[in-house]
Amino acid sequence: MSVRMEKVGDTSMQLPLVNMSPGALLARLALLLIVVLWTIPTFGLFISSFRDKDLLAVSGWWTALSVTERGEAARTGTDEDQVEENGAWFIRGEVFPAGEKEVQAFGIRSTEPETWAPGESADLGDGMTLTVQADGRYELRSPVEFDMNRGRRIYFRAAVPPKFTLSNYEEILDTEGVDQAFINTFTVTIPATIIPIAIAAFAAYAFSWTEFPGRQLLFAVVVGLLVVPLQMSLIPLLRMYNQVSHILPFFEAKSYPGIWLAHAGFGLPLAIFLLRNYIAGLPKEIIESARIDGASHFQTFTRLILPLSMPALASFAIFQFLWVWNDLLVALVFLSKDPDQIVMTSQLRELLGSRGDNWEILTSSAFVSILVPLIVFFALQRYFVRGLLAGSVKGG
Amino acid sequence: MKRKSLTFTLALVLVAGLLGGGLASADGHLMFPVGEGPFHWEDLDAFSMMDLSGEEIRVFGPWLGGDRELFEAVYAYFEDATGADIVYAGSDDFEQQIIIDIEAGSPPNIAVFPQPGLAADVASDGGLVPLSDSLRDAVLENYAAGQSWVDLGTYADPMGDPQYYGFFYKVDVKSLVWYSPDAFDEAGYDIPGTMEDLIALSEQIVADGGTPWCIGLGSGSATGWPATDWVEDIMLRTQPPEVYDGWVTNEIPFTDERIVSALETFGMFAKNDAWVDGGASAVAGTDFRESPAGMFTVPPKCYMHRQASFIPTFFPEGTELGLDADFFYFPSFAGMDLGNPVLGAGTLWAITQDSDATHVFLDYLMTPLAHEIWMAQSGFLTPHKGVNIDAYANDALRGQGEILLAATTFRFDGSDLMPGAVGAGAFWTGMVDFVSGASAEDVAADIQAAWDAIK
Amino acid sequence: MERMLNAIVAIVFGVGLMLLYFYGSNWLLDRLLPDQGLVNGVFQSREKQRERIRPWLFVGPALVILGVYLVYPAVQTLFLSFFDSDGEAFVGLANYERALGDSRFVESIGNNILWLIFVPTFSVIFGLVIAVLADRVSWGNIAKSLIFMPMAISFVGASVIWKFVYAINPDIGLLNAIYTGGGNESIDVLQIPFWNSFFLMLILVWIQTGFAMVLLSAALRGVPEETLEAARIDGANEVQTFFRIMVPQIMGTIFVVWTTIVITVLKVFDIVLAMTNGNWNTQVMANLMFDQMFRAFDTGYASFLALVIMVAVVPIMVVNIRRMNREEAMR
Repeated sequence: MSVRMEKVGDTSMQLPLVNMSPGALLARLALLLIVVLWTIPTFGLFISSFRDKDLLAVSGWWTALSVTERGEAARTGTDEDQVEENGAWFIRGEVFPAGEKEVQAFGIRSTEPETWAPGESADLGDGMTLTVQADGRYELRSPVEFDMNRGRRIYFRAAVPPKFTLSNYEEILDTEGVDQAFINTFTVTIPATIIPIAIAAFAAYAFSWTEFPGRQLLFAVVVGLLVVPLQMSLIPLLRMYNQVSHILPFFEAKSYPGIWLAHAGFGLPLAIFLLRNYIAGLPKEIIESARIDGASHFQTFTRLILPLSMPALASFAIFQFLWVWNDLLVALVFLSKDPDQIVMTSQLRELLGSRGDNWEILTSSAFVSILVPLIVFFALQRYFVRGLLAGSVKGG
Repeated sequence: MKRKSLTFTLALVLVAGLLGGGLASADGHLMFPVGEGPFHWEDLDAFSMMDLSGEEIRVFGPWLGGDRELFEAVYAYFEDATGADIVYAGSDDFEQQIIIDIEAGSPPNIAVFPQPGLAADVASDGGLVPLSDSLRDAVLENYAAGQSWVDLGTYADPMGDPQYYGFFYKVDVKSLVWYSPDAFDEAGYDIPGTMEDLIALSEQIVADGGTPWCIGLGSGSATGWPATDWVEDIMLRTQPPEVYDGWVTNEIPFTDERIVSALETFGMFAKNDAWVDGGASAVAGTDFRESPAGMFTVPPKCYMHRQASFIPTFFPEGTELGLDADFFYFPSFAGMDLGNPVLGAGTLWAITQDSDATHVFLDYLMTPLAHEIWMAQSGFLTPHKGVNIDAYANDALRGQGEILLAATTFRFDGSDLMPGAVGAGAFWTGMVDFVSGASAEDVAADIQAAWDAIK
Repeated sequence: MERMLNAIVAIVFGVGLMLLYFYGSNWLLDRLLPDQGLVNGVFQSREKQRERIRPWLFVGPALVILGVYLVYPAVQTLFLSFFDSDGEAFVGLANYERALGDSRFVESIGNNILWLIFVPTFSVIFGLVIAVLADRVSWGNIAKSLIFMPMAISFVGASVIWKFVYAINPDIGLLNAIYTGGGNESIDVLQIPFWNSFFLMLILVWIQTGFAMVLLSAALRGVPEETLEAARIDGANEVQTFFRIMVPQIMGTIFVVWTTIVITVLKVFDIVLAMTNGNWNTQVMANLMFDQMFRAFDTGYASFLALVIMVAVVPIMVVNIRRMNREEAMR
């Protein structure tokens, strides 16, 4: 198998661009184009997750690397901050911490933030003047003592250099209990992935290679069950769980086994559907020769079918893992929110607050939660290449 | 045998240790030191005498994140005094989740409903436990306009008999217009005292080359709701409260000309390209959380924003209330003699699973102290007449509290009282259709049709 | 550390119990019905009996779990569709009649048909093209991972991502930044009549292409190299090989992928819920059902809508049985 893989890889490596046929070049460009189009939205989110919360809402992520120009406002100190020098009174300060931005123009009315250039003296009437420097320092000068308990507004146009921050990620990772939630999520996800796969693989084999009455009808029902809306089944199921927990004291309504089975139930139709398609496509000769050699269906399945079905098992494992990992609804219904049961998705949801406008948390949490599924994808991808008999088996 | 008892003793010690630890940590996060500040600390005395150790009270509500911590600070004192354990869980799918839990037979002890309409539905299905008469009497006596708060929490039980199910704790005022005092000062605008003045001011702003309003209806799956508040506020300012009440119960249909004309009045603001930032077409698509930001840009994109008392949470970071942003009462028409109506909303506390400790906890929430502790933090208003107004964390909250107490008419957010299919469905989508171009008559007819369908 | 240990114990316990069932039940079957050796000089094998029972041991757990978690709720849904909003009073066909006069229902059916045509088609085409092309370039695995990424993003994340694309404000929305760059007024693409549905579909295509690609790519790896070689020797060019050899070989998988995406489309509601909530004529069946279930609390009507979705899948089941029969006839 590995031989063939290399061959495929090699041919492409050996073809320098110049020697490529126009068709092959076109194919490459097409793939590149699709990949770029597909990635741009996610890439935007990725960039956004490192941007400052305030910038996120005012400028596009594609401008993240350039200097942003925008209108800003600041407020001077009050009469408590004034100092007297040479018969005049001054209030001094800065409109932003030095070095952060650059003032390009300023004004004293929000509708006209660009009246004066930095360094110029703005006449505020009654002999009062205001000067704002490019670095953000300002000086308010008055011939008489200031009497204002509310600072004056300074409006200015600022050039904001690009600014990236890890604070969005820190906020997530610093949350109390996030490590426990991470472990809890694995406790849900791993059995909720393996159990339906194993059960489905046995069922898929029975549906494709054994004879029993009602086989086709049952399979059709399984396919039909793919479409049962999850939301419709939650209430009857939780009600059933509660009743069972009243009868059987050791069974709790909200427990890990409960959610494993629920996820298994919701994932089984797709698993059986995908796996049956694959297992039924395995060559008849292999199964028959095994059976002639006296292997039971159980032996045939575990020794022959299972290894051969790795690509299909791996594909489904990825999807089931993803689904469980990102699930919120089922976890909310079948698990409690206690620290020993809360999962990552619920935990992140808590961070978002009641009204969910915290984009900076949404962006970074999306990437925190994507990381594990991507690792799983990479880890399982190599199983896509069918084992032993790859060359001689027809696909799908 | 001996070994067994040893294990048992060990377990006891462990449990005791855990409990002790739990109490100690509860002690650690009392937000305000007992005995200091503008609080009615004596309210705790009655509860300190009770021993509710080992009692768990599960509360399920809509608050997450920061809001949840505010509530935690309130019940920490109760836990500390009685030894009871409050377990709060929040969800932003509250409406969905509470139905699932109740239907499945595993409800919390207390559910905190943001919408009385939903609580009424649950009550008629037998999902709620009536509250004590003493609590009802306390509300009647201590809340401003007490009878209306009792009425709002009284629903038909499964037999059709009215029962007092819902206790209001934490109220929002909706009839507020937010603005930037600096922008008003610089332009020389005055705070309008009447609706006529407000309309004149809007025209003045347009004449000066500005845009008066920022309006955004976007809210994900709840898109459209901010417009329902507008319509309700306008209803209260153009019609007597009885018409409002009739409209909310659909005794007066949506298609009535009085309601259609309220829709059109809203249209005067929102469907007017010159009056809203981005033009009328931007209204439906702009997120309500982002819409107030236009008041604080330089130069400003708009001058005013009508929204409930919670909106400062979404102002740009660093905006200081009272200094950079302030509010005024959404005024009434001088030409119509309807007084000063106030539109509000609030969370309704109902018992979904009975226990003695649960009733005690609600009694605690009725004390002035429980109100003051949340008042002293943020985002909390109360109609309780017995609280110390000084406890409000800032002038803005205090000002809103005063608007609430000065109301000649108080009405609850109508869309929250309507059945879910209308108040959280057809009304929302209808308002989106309306600002997207549909006529008021057509929209009213659509909403009425949805209402007819569930009768 | 202790938590980790607890988690591991739980996982091993759960998975182990299931494996124990399969091995144990098969072992038990072999013990309970052993071959009886030579009886009266004839070898008495009970293989036949055992193999008649064994399939039930294989499908048993699946049938039990499906029965509890899906069939039971589905039957209840069917039942409730004849009841009123509280699920208490029998109303006969009232919910069915109501649907006929419900403009939102009619609108959703229309939109669902559009979704059913476009989403599976484009997802499969893109998935197939990427799977084929990615196998030919050295950076194929990277390309596949990037295409796969949308599948791995939680739905909350995905809706934020597309907000950054579709937002009206050209300083936030990429699409409007490009559009206004050409001198146009910015527009809300989710409000454009008719076409707004396509902007929603695009999101699902974006997600589902990764799904199609993973399965099709696995299937393509199974196409025997010799067959391809033979075709090339016969003078077929790449395009011909693709259409005449590869596509027919993986037709089964294409069909499976297509079916799965069709079903996903029937069930999709979160995209519509979060982006438009069915406003501006973008309503779809599943979202309407969700709306009736959790907003209007009309159990009867919601059950009826769920039933419509379930019935829509019947043709797909029929095609599947036919295919199963044909497959078995062929081997």
